[in-house]
Amino acid sequence: MGVRLLVLAVLSVALMVVDARFDLLKPARKQASLVLMDAYWITDLPGRLWEGIASQFGSRTELVAENEKLKTENLLLQGRMQKLAALTEQNVRLRELLNSSALVNEKVEVAELIGMDPNPFTHRIIINKGERDGVVLGQPVLDARGLMGQVVELMPYTSRVLLLTDTTHSIPVQVNRNGLRAIASGTGNPERLELRHVADTADIKEGDLLVSSGLGQRFPAGYPVATVKEVIHDSGQPFAIVRAVPTAALNRSRYLLLVFSDNRTAEERANDAAQAQENLDAQGGGPMLPATVPKVVNTPAAATTPAASTAPAPAAAASTTPAKPAAKPAAKPAAASKPPASQPAARPAAKPPATAPGNTGRQE
Amino acid sequence: MVGATASRNGWIVWLTFVFGILLSVSPLPMFMEILRPLWLALLLTFWALYMPHTVGMVTAFCLGLAEDVLQGDLLGQNALILTLITFLVLSLQQRLRMFPMWQQCLVILVIFGLAQLVQLWLSALTGNRQPTLALVLPALVSALLWPWVSFALRGLRRRYKIN
Repeated sequence: MGVRLLVLAVLSVALMVVDARFDLLKPARKQASLVLMDAYWITDLPGRLWEGIASQFGSRTELVAENEKLKTENLLLQGRMQKLAALTEQNVRLRELLNSSALVNEKVEVAELIGMDPNPFTHRIIINKGERDGVVLGQPVLDARGLMGQVVELMPYTSRVLLLTDTTHSIPVQVNRNGLRAIASGTGNPERLELRHVADTADIKEGDLLVSSGLGQRFPAGYPVATVKEVIHDSGQPFAIVRAVPTAALNRSRYLLLVFSDNRTAEERANDAAQAQENLDAQGGGPMLPATVPKVVNTPAAATTPAASTAPAPAAAASTTPAKPAAKPAAKPAAASKPPASQPAARPAAKPPATAPGNTGRQE
Repeated sequence: MVGATASRNGWIVWLTFVFGILLSVSPLPMFMEILRPLWLALLLTFWALYMPHTVGMVTAFCLGLAEDVLQGDLLGQNALILTLITFLVLSLQQRLRMFPMWQQCLVILVIFGLAQLVQLWLSALTGNRQPTLALVLPALVSALLWPWVSFALRGLRRRYKIN
């Protein structure tokens, strides 16, 4: 019996060393997880069933109310989106002027939480997207309110996410108000992050929003991470003690977003953005309007020559009034000589949205 | 003859282990996470006590590996812990079966507490050190649960004549 214990103990120690130092056991682990990770799925099943039943038997009025609420929310978000589209565009242009990189739209995918790590001292969760869904190691994970953490272990159909508040996790952040950089470390408490090594005289105060600075090359810049809860200046301590509360609902969110940021370098990204802009300029003039709403406004005016006399009218009417007389005379000659003048006629029609992108957006 | 009886209804033992694995990853409220009983260790203890010929250290090792994969620990960490627990239980098996229930609970508290301390050292070695001795709490909860687990499993064993 003692011999058997010795053999097994040596074997497990050997396994631990190999697993810690080399990648040798990773494939075996992945294969095993293929079967074993179903345990999380199964334990999550009752909750999901309950949700399903609740939604089956949810009363009509409740559903209608919820629908109303969602519609309102959607409208609000859409409205904000439109403004955002214009701002994004502006941001790209300004960055181009500065020759700096443009980091605009990251692709995101929705994932669902299926389990928590049973160890109470680590903050890790299991999500239902894995290697086969294109998840990569170190990928940032968000919820609706802010950054949550990063992927630390990949399995075929699931992956493990280390949350911001784990004691082994730190993230480079920036105070949104003034750009002050710091590092936010997890404390093991799901409602608290700590900023390490912040000078006592640093301009940081209660209520400041901390956003990811993107300096670690791991998290995309500009996502909200936490809000500062208290700043303690203790003369006995070399640094100020800064405590912050994560904006993401780390222990409540069920639906998460996986961010697919491209792995191009900053220069390549800038070049690509410039290239795209050049192509657009060469193509059909007009401003490079974001792909969401304003493009719909733009295309009918530019593409249909016979309707050129009528199309500018609604577009111009919606925009500021001084744009109206400018658009009208341009449209008149277009109707007179169709084929050659189609291009210049389309241009003034498209111009008003450029001068007031916010306006055209709101009109939709 | 012995082999034929030893394997009778053995699948139920494995079924309990599957349940144990499910219980060990089932979601719990935050404040109860720290009190989560060591389900697999409890099950292994029972089966090692009453069926030492079928459930032994190798079983414990395999289950430990499964737990490692589930929890994302180093492969072998929980395997070592469970093997150790089973070894201690097996070496005390003859006496432990004769003990009254409260004494069994005490012995189990000591064994599981030791195992949790080893767990603490192992995770300290791998870098994520747990801050407190709160980690011995699962051992306490498991020891308190032992009478019920033992009672239920004994009923199951009698019902299906597992031996």
